[in-house]
Amino acid sequence: MTRYLLKRLPSALLVLALASFVVFSILRLIPGDPASSLAGPDASAETVAAIRARLGLDEPLFTQYAHWVGDLVRGDLGPSYAIGGDTASLIGDGLAATAQLTLGALVLVVLIGGALGIAGATARRGWVRGAVRAVTTGALAVPPYVTGVLLVLVFAVALGVLPPGGHASFLDAPDLAVQYLLLPALCLALPSAAVLGRYLKDGIEHALAEDYVRTAKAAGVAPRRLLWRHAVPNALPPVVTLLGMQTGHLLGGAVLVEAIFAWPGLGRLAEQGLTRRDYPVVQDLLLLLVAVFVVVQLLTDLVYAWLDPRIRWE
Amino acid sequence: MTLTTPTPHQNKGRTRKSRRSPYLTALTTARGRTGLLLVLLVALAGVLAPVLSGHAPTDQSGDTLLPPLSAGHPLGTDDLGRDLLSRVLYGIRADLGIIAVAVPLGAAAGCACALLAAVHPVVDTVVQRAFDLVLAFPGLILALAVTAVLGPGRTPVIVVIAVAEIPVFGRQLRAGILVQRGREYVAAARVGGTGRARLLTRHILPNATDPLIVQLAVSLTVAVFIEGAMSFLGVGVRPPTPTLGGVLSQSMPYLSQHPNYAAGPLLAVTALVLGLSLLAEALNREVRR
Amino acid sequence: MTDPSPRPSLPDAPTRRTTLRAAGGGAALLGLGLAGCRSAVSDSKSAGAGGTSDAPRRGGTLDIAINADFTPALLFTQTGQSLQNRLVFNTLTRYDDSLRPQPELATSWTYAKDGRSITLRLRDDVTYHDGRKFTADDVVFAVRNLQNPLRAAQLRATALAVSGFEKRGDHELVLKLKHPVANLFDLFEFMIITDPDSVEQAVTGKKLNGTGPFKLAKWSPGTGLSLTRNADYWQPGRPYLDRVELRVVAQAEALLSSLRTGQSQLSYDVPGKTLASLTSDGTLRTKEYAVGGGAAYLGVNTTVKPLDDPTVRHALAWAVDRERLVKQTLGGYGFASAAPWPKSSPAYTEANRTHYTYDPGKARELLKSAGHSRLDLPLLHVNTPGETANAESVQYDLKQIGVHTTLEPTDPAVSQKKLISQGMPALWVQGHGFAQVQPSTLAVSAYPFNEAKNTSKYRSEEYTAIVRKAWTGTGLSGSASRALYQEISDVLLDAAFVIDLAVRGRVETASTKLHGVTINKFAYLNLDNAYLASGS
Repeated sequence: MTRYLLKRLPSALLVLALASFVVFSILRLIPGDPASSLAGPDASAETVAAIRARLGLDEPLFTQYAHWVGDLVRGDLGPSYAIGGDTASLIGDGLAATAQLTLGALVLVVLIGGALGIAGATARRGWVRGAVRAVTTGALAVPPYVTGVLLVLVFAVALGVLPPGGHASFLDAPDLAVQYLLLPALCLALPSAAVLGRYLKDGIEHALAEDYVRTAKAAGVAPRRLLWRHAVPNALPPVVTLLGMQTGHLLGGAVLVEAIFAWPGLGRLAEQGLTRRDYPVVQDLLLLLVAVFVVVQLLTDLVYAWLDPRIRWE
Repeated sequence: MTLTTPTPHQNKGRTRKSRRSPYLTALTTARGRTGLLLVLLVALAGVLAPVLSGHAPTDQSGDTLLPPLSAGHPLGTDDLGRDLLSRVLYGIRADLGIIAVAVPLGAAAGCACALLAAVHPVVDTVVQRAFDLVLAFPGLILALAVTAVLGPGRTPVIVVIAVAEIPVFGRQLRAGILVQRGREYVAAARVGGTGRARLLTRHILPNATDPLIVQLAVSLTVAVFIEGAMSFLGVGVRPPTPTLGGVLSQSMPYLSQHPNYAAGPLLAVTALVLGLSLLAEALNREVRR
Repeated sequence: MTDPSPRPSLPDAPTRRTTLRAAGGGAALLGLGLAGCRSAVSDSKSAGAGGTSDAPRRGGTLDIAINADFTPALLFTQTGQSLQNRLVFNTLTRYDDSLRPQPELATSWTYAKDGRSITLRLRDDVTYHDGRKFTADDVVFAVRNLQNPLRAAQLRATALAVSGFEKRGDHELVLKLKHPVANLFDLFEFMIITDPDSVEQAVTGKKLNGTGPFKLAKWSPGTGLSLTRNADYWQPGRPYLDRVELRVVAQAEALLSSLRTGQSQLSYDVPGKTLASLTSDGTLRTKEYAVGGGAAYLGVNTTVKPLDDPTVRHALAWAVDRERLVKQTLGGYGFASAAPWPKSSPAYTEANRTHYTYDPGKARELLKSAGHSRLDLPLLHVNTPGETANAESVQYDLKQIGVHTTLEPTDPAVSQKKLISQGMPALWVQGHGFAQVQPSTLAVSAYPFNEAKNTSKYRSEEYTAIVRKAWTGTGLSGSASRALYQEISDVLLDAAFVIDLAVRGRVETASTKLHGVTINKFAYLNLDNAYLASGS
């Protein structure tokens, strides 16, 4: 096992090193620079030059890259250029907010997807099944940026029961935080919930058609027991795998949803950093995302290797 | 929503039907027929845009935000007094033009990468890590970066969609190739002295394409979403050319007072995406059995 | 064998009951949040309820919806979001409605006869939030701070005109000037008095130590600012409010509904086109301020052929339907104007405003007389929805006279870089500020109009001479200064390197319960006398 890890580790580190270079270069390739974006709309050349010098942007690119990587290795992320505050705390706060949103969405995915799946598979009335089908298809066919606006219109404007955007800390005011979380999490959760519901529905339908279920039914086992003890547990394993996949999608989709609901997560931070050319924030953030991805890949490979000894010797 | 959602099919016991028919069979199911009908309907509306609309999509007037069924403007007008029907129809046209180029482009590039990766383990590792890198970057960042470098227009939208699809197709095909390699017929062919390249292109590839066809339909819907998201971020197709996402994003400030502004593009997007996903589902069901 | 997935035909499959139960469980879970102790929607609505009179009342929290967060690095630069500047800090003076300076931290002032120095007398009862006393040294620092190019202050040219300081005790200060400056009180209106020791922490957002009515409790990047009442404020009994929250609500629709639902009571960021629906509602009111920043113009690069020909530029100026622009893309707020001045400016005249109107026939004629029937030019604009609509509108009007433009949507950072490095293409649509104060400030502080170096690459000795004269001339009589301002307007209108289209101010949308709110000429929010009336 350790040998396998040692074999895989260099390529993972290589990806990270490569990513740091790609991230650095992409930011430098994008026109516009932090100094002129910081200088304001009426700045003189002198102001721009002074800011460039202060940020160290007048140094050769290689030196800048070396500085960044050097500081990073020492664990010093330094101050942000334009947004304000320390890069480390900005990313930390963003990470917490995004995690909240993703977890909230995950809970809703399970609740809504579960309800849709069970209702779709077991409802006898045609209109219920039709409604479930309409909801699952609709949730997948309407783009999330529209869902977001529609949710605001219904829950915030028409009904006035939920705030249209904003954020409260779970530590300071958990009851308010949940309300701020609901709409963005719902917007994020809907497509994944639809996918999950569809899977679960197929799974349950299939399980209910299995011979042993039919036998049990014939033997007089109560239908509810059949559903919860046999059909649902049998339908679960692929659904759990799917849930894992969808978590990745949720993290990705969070970027857009955060923009719509002014949710102060990583996606918004990335967008803000990019529009203001806040190099340290964007560089560190992107590298973090790549690192997370690489680690997850590595773990997956390790688990597979552990499960299947052949891979270790391949 | 960026990956295929393979339906769980445990029906291994089913007999394999004749190889020729699954696509046709898929199109004859209720799902397939509805999907095809929707897609054709939307596509037709886009193709016939010049015939169906009486106005140029960029012609402005002082008639701001007319309600639907106004004289000469069946869907009403937008904030700059442009005919909404014509903007939606030309928007469909623009979207179709983009996704029809971008998705096949991404698919071809992804498949090329996968084939290349099948040649040698080292290439495979390189390609795999490159896919990881693309997948690790959030699509939004990719979109902003590509547009910032290439400048505004159709090209960056096509590039972003294509780049985002490369690893999706690449991974799919790679997985397919790995599965086929383990099959007996491949071993037989190899023993029979078939060359590596020939084995790959003549034997393995044809047998690994089914999931790719399904993925193509799924990716087309994803492409519509990406175009829309880019328009929302202000990095879409160069205005005043309408796209579905563009018109939709322009309508957002008026949603509560003039919901009809958003209704047209929303309907078109939903019909197109719905049609494509129904097709994808129908194909998926048939192809996998 | 090919039987499709069979629908289970259980005679009494768990059906509605189970489904309902599952749904009920979900609803109960949702309810935990909704029916909990309080609601995020009505929370602020009921804040500070008490008696029922309209008289000033202590206490309460004011929630302000902003569409962009505070940017500490731009603390000393005029930006779209400067509301917090007069909440945490103070300025030396403030303008009244007719641009006459009124005392703030400076109680009185005397100009020297030759206009080369000014004596300021300062309040002696002011302390910073950390307890330190405010003295003349803080003013010296404030001026020097703005002279530092790192601070990117638009009024740096005016600050640089201050060549020396002479302290007379702790609360009297003489500013020596290199030359007389007409817009010194613009500087005093603009310049916030910060604590010299913590200024580096201020520009990173870690600490804001000022003398203002509110103290910074917390800044959460991306979310907004929390401010609490400064109990030791130098105005006795003020402020009335206990807390002020500036909350970022990025999306227009969300911002609107946060006002409608009472989640916030004040905003300056409601887009013009959505204002109409709000005013019909009895719980909100609007007010327009001439604070500049929102003037829309068509910029012309005068080095691109054939735009070097003033006749062609005049043709462009006659081609745009400004009234339609105001009605359609600005939602009817602001007014069509060929000159940059708002109505409160001493340089404003009706003749200047209507110097160019919508006359496509005349525009085509001018273009023909310059020898052109069709032009193809790029037109840059920022890729935000509002700016895009402006650009589309202008593009259409120009097309009608034969000037075909290709839009170049550009992200704000690139557009700003092109703006301040003279990198703009032939045409661009943008907004500019600084026409709301002394007219000469426009030409020395707003980059598009700068006489020495501007985006349009327009140079003229006449323009430079007039601007210098207006900027360094003080003590002119009313009619003499008006004549001078008219000369500036004449040059701007004739040179047409910046073709103004519409002048709009900042629109305040506030709950009818909120009283005593005002903003200064640079959109710094003043809540000294603000209070939330109780009752409904």
